[in-house]
Amino acid sequence: MLAVQILIDGFAISALYALGALGFTLIFGVSGVLNLAHGAILVTSAMVAWYVGTDSGGGAFTGAAAGVAAGVVTAFVTYGLVVRPIQRSKAIPGVERELFVLTGTLLWGVMIQILLADVFTTTPITVEQLVSGTIDIFGVRTAANEVFIAVVSWAVLGLLWLLVNRTPAGRRLLAASINPRALTLVGVELDHVHLLAWGIYGVIAGIAGVLLGSFLGTSSAYIPALTGTAFAIVVLGGLGSVSGTVIAAYVVGYLETLTAYLVSPSWRAVPALILLLAVLYFRPQGILGRR
Amino acid sequence: MRLFLLCSRAPPLPPLLRLPALTLHRSWSASPHRWRPFGAAIANGAKLAVADINAKGGVDGRPLQLVIEDDQASSASAVSSFQRMVKQDHVVAVVGNWISEVALALEPWATRLHEPYLITGAASNDISAYVHKDYAERKYTFHAYFPSAFLAAGVCAASHDVLSTELNMKTAVIISEDAAWTKPLDTSLNQCLPDSGLQVLKEIRFAPDTTDFTPIFQQAESLNPDVIISGWAHVGVQPTVQWANQKVPLALAGINAQAGSSAFWKATNGATEGVATLNVAAPDVATTPLTIPFTNEYIKAYGVTPAYSAYTTYDAIYVLAAAIERANSTAPDAVVSALEKTDYVGTQGRLQFLGPDSQFTHALRFGPGFVTGVVIQWQNGVQKCIWPLNLANAKPEFPGFVKLPKLASAN
Amino acid sequence: MKKQLIIAALVLVVVGLVPLTSVSDYITGVLTMVCFYAVFAMSWDLLFGYAGEVNFGPSFLIGVGAYGAGLADADLGLPVAVCIAIGTLAAVLAGLLLAIPALRLRGPYFGLITLVAVLLLQDMIEIFADTTGGEIGLSVPDVLAVSAAVNFYYAFGLMVIAGAILLAVANSPFGLILQAAGQDPVEAQALGFNIVKFKVVAFAISAFFSGLAGAMLVFYLGTASVSAMVDVAVGIQVIIAAVLGGRRTIIGPVLGAAFLVGAGELLRPVGQMSGFIVAALALGVILLVPDGLLGALRGRLRA
Repeated sequence: MLAVQILIDGFAISALYALGALGFTLIFGVSGVLNLAHGAILVTSAMVAWYVGTDSGGGAFTGAAAGVAAGVVTAFVTYGLVVRPIQRSKAIPGVERELFVLTGTLLWGVMIQILLADVFTTTPITVEQLVSGTIDIFGVRTAANEVFIAVVSWAVLGLLWLLVNRTPAGRRLLAASINPRALTLVGVELDHVHLLAWGIYGVIAGIAGVLLGSFLGTSSAYIPALTGTAFAIVVLGGLGSVSGTVIAAYVVGYLETLTAYLVSPSWRAVPALILLLAVLYFRPQGILGRR
Repeated sequence: MRLFLLCSRAPPLPPLLRLPALTLHRSWSASPHRWRPFGAAIANGAKLAVADINAKGGVDGRPLQLVIEDDQASSASAVSSFQRMVKQDHVVAVVGNWISEVALALEPWATRLHEPYLITGAASNDISAYVHKDYAERKYTFHAYFPSAFLAAGVCAASHDVLSTELNMKTAVIISEDAAWTKPLDTSLNQCLPDSGLQVLKEIRFAPDTTDFTPIFQQAESLNPDVIISGWAHVGVQPTVQWANQKVPLALAGINAQAGSSAFWKATNGATEGVATLNVAAPDVATTPLTIPFTNEYIKAYGVTPAYSAYTTYDAIYVLAAAIERANSTAPDAVVSALEKTDYVGTQGRLQFLGPDSQFTHALRFGPGFVTGVVIQWQNGVQKCIWPLNLANAKPEFPGFVKLPKLASAN
Repeated sequence: MKKQLIIAALVLVVVGLVPLTSVSDYITGVLTMVCFYAVFAMSWDLLFGYAGEVNFGPSFLIGVGAYGAGLADADLGLPVAVCIAIGTLAAVLAGLLLAIPALRLRGPYFGLITLVAVLLLQDMIEIFADTTGGEIGLSVPDVLAVSAAVNFYYAFGLMVIAGAILLAVANSPFGLILQAAGQDPVEAQALGFNIVKFKVVAFAISAFFSGLAGAMLVFYLGTASVSAMVDVAVGIQVIIAAVLGGRRTIIGPVLGAAFLVGAGELLRPVGQMSGFIVAALALGVILLVPDGLLGALRGRLRA
């Protein structure tokens, strides 16, 4: 019985982590950007979803749609206002560009965090579930919303795979992540590829934020931890590898769940952090990393 | 927590009384366990108190001036604010703080600077224990709220009257956030719950930044208790929502501080239906003749019902004003002596401070006839009072998924 | 360069004399915090500006120094100076333990490890709350001094000494090689330098001063707490100070710290939006004036 509980709870959490980390790895793979404002985009989506859906009475579905839209908008603003100017700035020496993008997105994330705290306060809120009720799975009473989240998570993964491998636009994305210069030689506007990447990132982050908000709740105070977890999972899986990210998400999700059930809920986050440190020391490229 | 600073800016006028209050706002920070509305409530409660007192002529004919400062949930910031208020703005007393960490960091400064300091939130036993250890030096601090031990006493009294006697419950599991204020709370609960008729099957503590409560609820459910007694202040929304979404068949009662706010219904999308919590006041319940007028005044001014810290701060400012009048002086030692003689019926009940012979020196006296708190339960989107029985305006009701014990009826 | 040093020295003398005037204890307190943050930011600059490594967890070093000293006082009752020494040593050791393996890695991995270190430290402090006080903080029975002026001079002295040493290191041959390692590691290695060793030494120096300042901070505030010393937010403040002031200058971060603490106090009435404004300014600096305040000033002086 306990084993089944762990299996199910772990699966739901892992699916959520995978969704949350997916956008992060995508944008790194294509643009080479480690977006430290990632958590801020997730929470913004959730907050907007709650505001439209619950606070203004729009209903769960309208709220969710608004949340995803907010994710896209925030992603584009992040790109246009922070990332692209730094990437193009002549005042920054090429070697330090990456560092500046990191610091810039970090500051931008802080700004969003404070703004959200000012508008919504730091009280955690929960986005209304899109699916309610409970389902009995092998004798374990599970919230239907958790099942829904797992389904959506895998659907998004599947769609992304289809996009990247079966559509021309997607293949350009893939190519851009491997060799951007070659792509320009073939006449592709890199700018358009980047815009597409950030747009997809916004959609994924928006969905992740809304679902996260419905299961775990959300608050501006969660932003640093969310970015940290996404970052950790992506590095664990291998920077730039989508399958690596998914595998790592499940490793972390189950590690946390096992700890919470078998050791103590207080120690939940610790083993994953230690695993991350170990991987960084002994196999820094992660599970499936290429670089 | 808010820091209220009263400071005078008009030298030609007769000196104004300054009462600073320290408010703790949440600033951006990585730790999720803090909640700004408690801080805003302190500020608002103080503002109303000062307005009301000044409308009636102030203290000895002199108006009170209030300055509000935000210490941004940081001890360092609070210490800096405290020092400025005392040394630069020459405030008469400092009021506020709802985070134990900050309150404990400020107490030594109140001692060093001989500044009366009334803490109107925070529940750590250490706050009054600090004063007790060296009363002569440390007498300047007053805990104008309850230490955890008294909160536990309130929970146990309510559990006896409602859960055990009325609902025939026999077993409980304590689930508390792993924070400083819940250690003494749980210790006290473990002692007094059995005397109230509830056997404690287990005590589960979780990290305050937990977001997935599934393992915790499943652990509790496997023991088959009648009720979960919660010790939650830093968390509230997540565990409540997950309790409802997962349809955990155990009643949820105890302390769920955030559930005391009227905004909690929306924050949880209604998942809080059936949740009971010890609180300072309940809507439309006249704990004292002052309770409802204050609540209405607050709602009119700020659009939400007052959080617990609004009541405590409102009362604290009145208590302070009365003490200054009694002492006929604003000198710290005189004010402190006068404060110790407080016997005032505020919005929470009849307030008195315990003396140096109690281990909770300068905390509020707990007990029937004094202050006990009330228990509210969310029913159909509204907070109803279910304890004390002489003030209750509803019977306890639980959502369908909660399994209640069979009542011991004579038929 | 000499002119700049003379200007800096003059400013220091003026600032140093401030507490002796009739200015309030509050202002002295603010200046004291500026000194502490200046040391944190200068230490950070040695790593970021020179070695080219982003340390996202300066608060790891600060926190270990602070709690090391705090625990030594609260649990062992050792004299204050000994506690500070213990805290500093702990910070250096912990820093090396972290850095030696991490600095071998390229790219953002080092930054990530520093961030993870902060999160782990925070978790550990909260789990072992019985010893450390958890989120409530650890009260220490001793303070450096009760007088605001004396406290200021301790911090001021620390800042001047740390600044002098860091400046000397940065402008020494060691510092030059460090810069080379940061700006063009391939070239530096080709020239035969063990860039990892240089970065490790730089990290140790950074850890030394961060830990020392953290330890002294405990005896100034009277408590060691997560929110004042370990929280990621503290680290972000340090980064903002260094970036605003001007990286790769050592002195720039001092200006940045003064601006940061000063703005925080001036913007108090705005409440928590003061943090937003400061972060926005820092972002603006990164976008428009990446060399920071001092860098921009120097550019103008040269032109």
